[in-house]
Amino acid sequence: MIEQQKVSTPEELDELLKKVRQAQKIFATFSQEQVDKIFYHAALKANEMRIPLAQEAVKETGMGVIEDKVIKNHYAAEFVYNKYKDTPTVGVIEENKDLGYQRIAEPLGVVAAIIPTTNPTSTAIFKTLMCLKTRNGCIISPHPRAKNSTIHAAQIVLQAAIEAGAPENLIGWITDPSMVLSSTIMKEADCILATGGPGMVTAAYSSGKPAIGVGPGNTPAIFDKTCDIKLAVYSVIQSKTFDNGMICASEQSVIVDKEIYNEVKQEFLYRGCYFLKGEELDKVRKTVIINGSVNAKIVGQSAYTIAKLSGVEVPEETKILIGEVKDCSPFEEFAHEKLSPVLAMYKAEDFEDALNKADELVHHGGYGHTSAIYLNEVTEQEKLNKFALRMKTCRILVNSPAAQGGIGDIYNFMLAPSLTLGCGSWGGNSVSENVGVKQLLNVKTVAVRRENMLWFRVPEKLFFKPGCLKDALTELKEVYNKKRVFIVTDKFLYESGFTKKVTSVLDALNIEHTVYSDVAPDPTLACAKEGANLMLSFKPDSIIAIGGGSPMDAAKIMWVLYEHPEVNFKDMALDFMDIRKRIYRFPKMGSKANLVCIPTTAGTGSEVTPFAIITDETNGLKYPLADYELLPNMAIVDSDLMLNIPKGLTKASGIDAIVHSFEAIASIMASPFTDGMAYEALHLLFENLPIAYKEGAANPKARENMAHAATIAGLAFANAFLGIAHSLGHKLGAYHHIPHGIAVGMMLIPVMKFNASEQPTKMGTFSQYDHPICLSKYARVAEYLGCTGKDDQAKFNNLLKKIVQVQEAVEMPMTIQEYGVKEEDFLKTLDEMTVEAFNDQCTGCNPRYPLIEEMKQLYLEAYYGKNYKAKK
Amino acid sequence: MFEKVDLGELLVTRTNKKIYRNKNLLIKVFDHEKVGKSTVLFEALNQSYVEKVGLNIPKMIAIFPYGEDWAIASEFIEGETLQEKMEKDPSNYKKYLELLVKLQLEVLSKRTMELPKLKDKLNAKISFLGKEESLVNLEATTRYDLHMRLESMPDHNKLCHGDFNPSNIVCTKDNKYYILDWAHACRGNASADASSTYLNFILNHNQKYADEYLKLFCKKADIAIQYVQRWICVVSATLLNSVHTEEQRELLLRNINVVESM
Repeated sequence: MIEQQKVSTPEELDELLKKVRQAQKIFATFSQEQVDKIFYHAALKANEMRIPLAQEAVKETGMGVIEDKVIKNHYAAEFVYNKYKDTPTVGVIEENKDLGYQRIAEPLGVVAAIIPTTNPTSTAIFKTLMCLKTRNGCIISPHPRAKNSTIHAAQIVLQAAIEAGAPENLIGWITDPSMVLSSTIMKEADCILATGGPGMVTAAYSSGKPAIGVGPGNTPAIFDKTCDIKLAVYSVIQSKTFDNGMICASEQSVIVDKEIYNEVKQEFLYRGCYFLKGEELDKVRKTVIINGSVNAKIVGQSAYTIAKLSGVEVPEETKILIGEVKDCSPFEEFAHEKLSPVLAMYKAEDFEDALNKADELVHHGGYGHTSAIYLNEVTEQEKLNKFALRMKTCRILVNSPAAQGGIGDIYNFMLAPSLTLGCGSWGGNSVSENVGVKQLLNVKTVAVRRENMLWFRVPEKLFFKPGCLKDALTELKEVYNKKRVFIVTDKFLYESGFTKKVTSVLDALNIEHTVYSDVAPDPTLACAKEGANLMLSFKPDSIIAIGGGSPMDAAKIMWVLYEHPEVNFKDMALDFMDIRKRIYRFPKMGSKANLVCIPTTAGTGSEVTPFAIITDETNGLKYPLADYELLPNMAIVDSDLMLNIPKGLTKASGIDAIVHSFEAIASIMASPFTDGMAYEALHLLFENLPIAYKEGAANPKARENMAHAATIAGLAFANAFLGIAHSLGHKLGAYHHIPHGIAVGMMLIPVMKFNASEQPTKMGTFSQYDHPICLSKYARVAEYLGCTGKDDQAKFNNLLKKIVQVQEAVEMPMTIQEYGVKEEDFLKTLDEMTVEAFNDQCTGCNPRYPLIEEMKQLYLEAYYGKNYKAKK
Repeated sequence: MFEKVDLGELLVTRTNKKIYRNKNLLIKVFDHEKVGKSTVLFEALNQSYVEKVGLNIPKMIAIFPYGEDWAIASEFIEGETLQEKMEKDPSNYKKYLELLVKLQLEVLSKRTMELPKLKDKLNAKISFLGKEESLVNLEATTRYDLHMRLESMPDHNKLCHGDFNPSNIVCTKDNKYYILDWAHACRGNASADASSTYLNFILNHNQKYADEYLKLFCKKADIAIQYVQRWICVVSATLLNSVHTEEQRELLLRNINVVESM
C-alpha cells in the first residue's frame, strides 16, 4: 500500500501540497483516453475493496452498519463510474462549427476534499474518483474520528490510479487532522469540496477559495391519504434503517393524513417499528437531542441501542423508534435531524396542514436539502404540484425512500449519482444539484465571430406604373373580398379631389367607405386617436392612406390603435440596439384590417417602410415607431397622382429620397439586397430630380421615375435603416421649423465626409461591419453615377460635387445659414439639439459611431458651410 | 511609595481575589500569585472601554498597587440584586426574567471595536482543554469539532457581558438598575452571550428559569432558538474550568458530546 509522509503541521502540509501540485501539472497534460483508463482502474479497485473498507469504517467510527456501508462504497465506485465513464472531461468537450463555438474543459487544480465521519470511505472514493476523471489533484482532509478508514480509501484509489499510469502523489491526505490544517488546506487549495456539518461548510465558504458545500437536511415525508401505505411505510423503513439513518437525505419525520393514520401506524408496527409510549417518549427525546444538537453517542446506532441508552426497553430487532408528536418547531426534539433510526410522526388534518408541517420542518432544519411525498401520482398531480412549488428543497422525492432516492440513480434516473448533495442558497450553498464532474471543471468557451441573419422585408404587394390605381384597388374586392374601407388623408388632397379617385373605384366595386381628412403635417396622437375612434365605430376591414408621409404615418398609428386600443406608445417607442432583440414586443397587426398606402409625393417611402412618427401634442414628445408589424400590406405607386406636385415639395421630397439612399448604403445594416436598390434609386434620382423640378407635370416620365425611385429608396432603408444625416436632420427640422427633406439634405454632405473617414474615432458596432468601408462604398456609387477619379477619395470628391450640382439645380439652400436660421438662434439651441440628435434612433446604424462633440461640429459645418473650419 | 490604603470591610474571598467595601468604594484586590499585573490592568482597561458606551455601570475610580498585589476600586452600588429579588418573590419570576432580557438586549445593542474578540477567547479556552494544567481534558477529536463549530459561527461586534445573570444586576433604592462585574466583557455574538446566561441557570439547577429565559430572549431578540442552541455546546466547553463541582462538570460534558446535523 502507498505510504505518505506524516502531515501534522502546516509546514508538512505545504510540502505535500507542492508534491500534489507537481503531479497535477503533469496529469493536466493527459489525454481523455489516459484519464478514462485511470478512472476505470481506480473505480474497479475501490469497488473490489468495498467490504474491508466498510468494516474499517464501522470499526473506527463505531457508527453505522457494515452491510450498508458496503452498498455505499459499491455505489460510490460503480454508479459514479457508470454515470461519467463516457462523459468528456478533457479538452474539447463540445463543438458546433455552424454556430461557431467550442467548449474546452480544464481541471481546477488541487481540490481540498473534506470527508465527514458518517460516510468516511464512500465519500473519499466518490471525491477522489471525481478528481481523477477531471484531471484534478486532491488533498483529503479526513475527520479525526474516521481518519484511518478515510485515508485507506484514498490510498486504494491512488494506488490503482498510479498503476494505470497516473503521476505519483496525485492524491494526498492530512494524517493528523486539526483545525489549523483544515483551514490551511482550505485556503491553499484551488477548490473545496466540503461535505459535513454546517461548521465545516461555513469554514469552507469563508476560506476565500471557491467552495462547493452542502448543508444539513431535515427531510419530511408526507403520507397523503391516496398513498400506497405498504410501499410508503416500507420505503421509510428501508431509508431510515440504511446505515442506521446516517444519510443526510433520509426521512426525519412522517406527516400522515388523519384518515390513514391508524392504518399507517399498524403497518409500521407490523413491520417491526416501535412506537414510544408515555415517559419513553421523553426519555428518548432528551437522549437523542441535547440543546438542539444530536447526541454524538446515538449517531448511527441501532434503534435498540438508542432505546437502551435512553432507558427504554424495546425488542432487539426493532427497526425504528417512532415518536408521535405535534410540535414542528425546534422546541420539539423529534422535529430535529436525528442521524439515527429515530423518526417523528405527525397527524395531519388535511393536505394543506401536511404541507404547512412539512414546510415548517424544512424551514427549521433542512432548508434546501430534501423532502418526500407519498401519494397516487396519477390521480393527485395537483397535490404533487402544490408540494413541489411549496417545498424549499433542492430534491423533491415522490414515492421513494429518501436516503436512496436523494443520492440519485437508484430509485430515479435523472438525479445524478452523488454523495455530495447541493442545497442551493437556502442551505448556504453555491450549487443546488447533486455534485458531479461539472463542478470540478473550468470550461472555456471558444466563441468564433459569426454574422447575424439579415432580412429583406417588403409589403406583400407593390403595384406601380402610371394609372395603376384602379386595377390595384380592384384587388381589394376581387382578391381580398374587402367590404368596408376607411380612407385617411389630409385636407388639401381631400379638397382637391384626390380621394375621389379612390372612392369612385370603391363605389364601382360596391365597397363601403368613409374618409378621414383631418391629418395635419407632423400628425399628432390626438389626430390618430380621433381617426381610430372613428374606425372603431365604422369597423373597416381595410384602411387606405393617401398622401405624403403625414397621412401614411397617421394611418399606421390609427391602425395600431384600432387593432390594439390598449397599447402604450412610450413602450412602443423605446429605442432599441437591435430590432430583433428589442424588449418591447410589438402587437400582431392585421386581425381587423389591412393597410394600403398610396403615396402622392415622391420621397418619404413610407408606403413600403415599417416606420411611423407621431407627436404627443400634450408635451411635444415625438414617438418614432419601428416594427415590421407596421409594414403596409399593399403599396400603390401611381405617378399620375404626382404630376402636379408643387416645386417646393418636389425638391424637399426628392432630396429626402436621395438622403435615404445614401444613408441606406452607408448603414452598418446594409446588404447587397439593399445596396442594389439604393444604387438604382440614386441613379434615377440624380437623372430625374432636376428635370422633374424644372418641368413638373410637363414631363410625366420624369415624374414616373421619381415616384419609383422614392419607393425603391424606401425599400432599401426599410431594411438597412438610416444614419446620422437623419438623426441631425430630425432635430434640426424640429428646432428650427425646416421641412424634413431640406433639413436632412443640408446635413448630407458634412455627414458623408464624416462617414467616409478611413480612421474614424469610433466605428459602428455590428458583426458584419468589420472595418470602415464607407469611402469605398461611396466610390462605387460614384462610379455608378459616372463620377471618375484616380482613387476612391477622388471618386468620392467628384460624387460630392455631383450632389452639389443636383442641389443647385433644385435651388436647395447650401447651408443652414443660407436657409435663414439666425446665427444667434442656432447657437442657442446647438448643444441641446446635438444631444438629442445623438440619442436619435437612426444614430445606431451609422457606420461611424459619432461622439457628441463630433455631431456638434457637423451641425456647425452644415451651418457655416465651406467657411467653417472644423476643430481637430 | 503608596501607603497601604484602608480597604474597609472584607465582603468576600474568591480563589484569586478579595473584595472589600470602603464606604462608596468597592475594591477588588487580586492575589499577585494568581493574577499578574498585566491581567489586572487589562481588566481595568476593558472596564474603561465598557464605561464609554453609556450603560448604567459602576464607574472605575482607581487602580493602585497594594503591597505586591494590584487593586481596582470602583463605585459601590447599594441595592438589591435581581437574584435576591427573584428569591424573595418567586411567583413573579417571569417578570424578572423579562427585565433580565431587556437589560441584556440593551447591552447587546452596543457595538465596540476595542474589547477582545469573543471567538478568540473561546478558541483559547477550548485549546486550553488539551493542556495538562486544565482541570478537565477533552480529546483532540472533540476539540476539533468544537473549534470547527466555533469557526462557523458568525462574528459580530456586539458588547457581550460574558457572565450576564441575575446576581450581576443591582436595583438601587431609586429603582435604577446597574450591571456589575465586567471582567469577562468582550465583543462578539449575542447568541453566545445568551447561551452563557442560559447555562448559568442550568448550572444552578434551574431548568424552568433556563427554558423560560431562552424563549424570552429569542422572542425579544428575534433570534431563532437554533442559533442560540448551536452555541451551547461551545460555551459549555469553555466553562469547564470555571465550575466548581463534579456534577456541574457532568452537566457541561453532556452538552459537549454532540454532533452537527449533516
